[in-house]
Amino acid sequence: MPADPNMKILVVDDMVTMRKIVKNILKQLGFANTDEAENGQEGLQKLREGSYNFVVSDWNMPVMTGIEMLRAIRADAKLKSIPVLMVTAEAQQSNLIEAVQAGVSNYIVKPFTAETMQEKIGKIFK
Amino acid sequence: MENQGHKLYEELGALARFVDNAMHAISAAAPQIISSSTQLPTAASHLSDLKKMTEDGTLEVMRLTELVQDNHAAMAKELCGIAEVLKAMDCAILAGRLEQVRATMAQDDKHLMEIMTTLSFQDLVAQRVKKLVTILDEVQTKLVELVVVFGLQRNGNAAAGTGIADQMLKQLEESKTTAMKQQVADDLLAQFGFK
Repeated sequence: MPADPNMKILVVDDMVTMRKIVKNILKQLGFANTDEAENGQEGLQKLREGSYNFVVSDWNMPVMTGIEMLRAIRADAKLKSIPVLMVTAEAQQSNLIEAVQAGVSNYIVKPFTAETMQEKIGKIFK
Repeated sequence: MENQGHKLYEELGALARFVDNAMHAISAAAPQIISSSTQLPTAASHLSDLKKMTEDGTLEVMRLTELVQDNHAAMAKELCGIAEVLKAMDCAILAGRLEQVRATMAQDDKHLMEIMTTLSFQDLVAQRVKKLVTILDEVQTKLVELVVVFGLQRNGNAAAGTGIADQMLKQLEESKTTAMKQQVADDLLAQFGFK
């Protein structure tokens, strides 16, 4: 099933520049229904309150990291099926393995291109 | 027994001399240690400023890029409408030329998106600066501990304002307050007859 252009996407990153970049790329790729959160805790709260279809998250964030949020999502009966794409500067193999074990849907290493983002979204929603 | 006591006495003497030498060495380095411990917070603060400056610059480039993207989207829509009208009026050649313009714009949209993604360098810079500030904070804490534990005191103004690090920090500090805005430069230039 291809990605629904109207799906609601939550972008989680502590850096305002990265949130804007990811939202801009998503918009250019045809996904304009986006919302944002500054850290994992705020992201989790928004996910519990709203109905999101997809999460794009950073790893390193204050209060609650991306990997902690991912684990919380997968442990939550209502949220566990939401695809989570991690976009992170954590480029060690151990990080990727940890994310896969935590249930990540796909993984992008910064810096990245719009093509990479498109390809990963395509793979998640194929 | 007496021999053993003598040996112990000798070893204690050697140990006392070692401690004394070490204390002297630390005392001699005291001005530099104190100087470094006071410089580090300023250096960390400048690093944080650097992060803020890259963030501000990046956000401005993003704002302008988004404006161009929005304009492009509006123009593409308009061109599409005009092309439809031209086709209906049997002006296929003109419509074809408009299509070429739209294709060029689409290519530019791709470039604009590349500009946006390239700006993610700021996030990587910010993360590294954050780590460096944490390291500087930790080194400063350890230096302060050293100062406190060994009761180091600055001897007059020795080592104050003489090192390269001190000079550079002074320059950085001065640049915060004395950096001239263009308007001030223009006013000064006007006083010298530049118009």
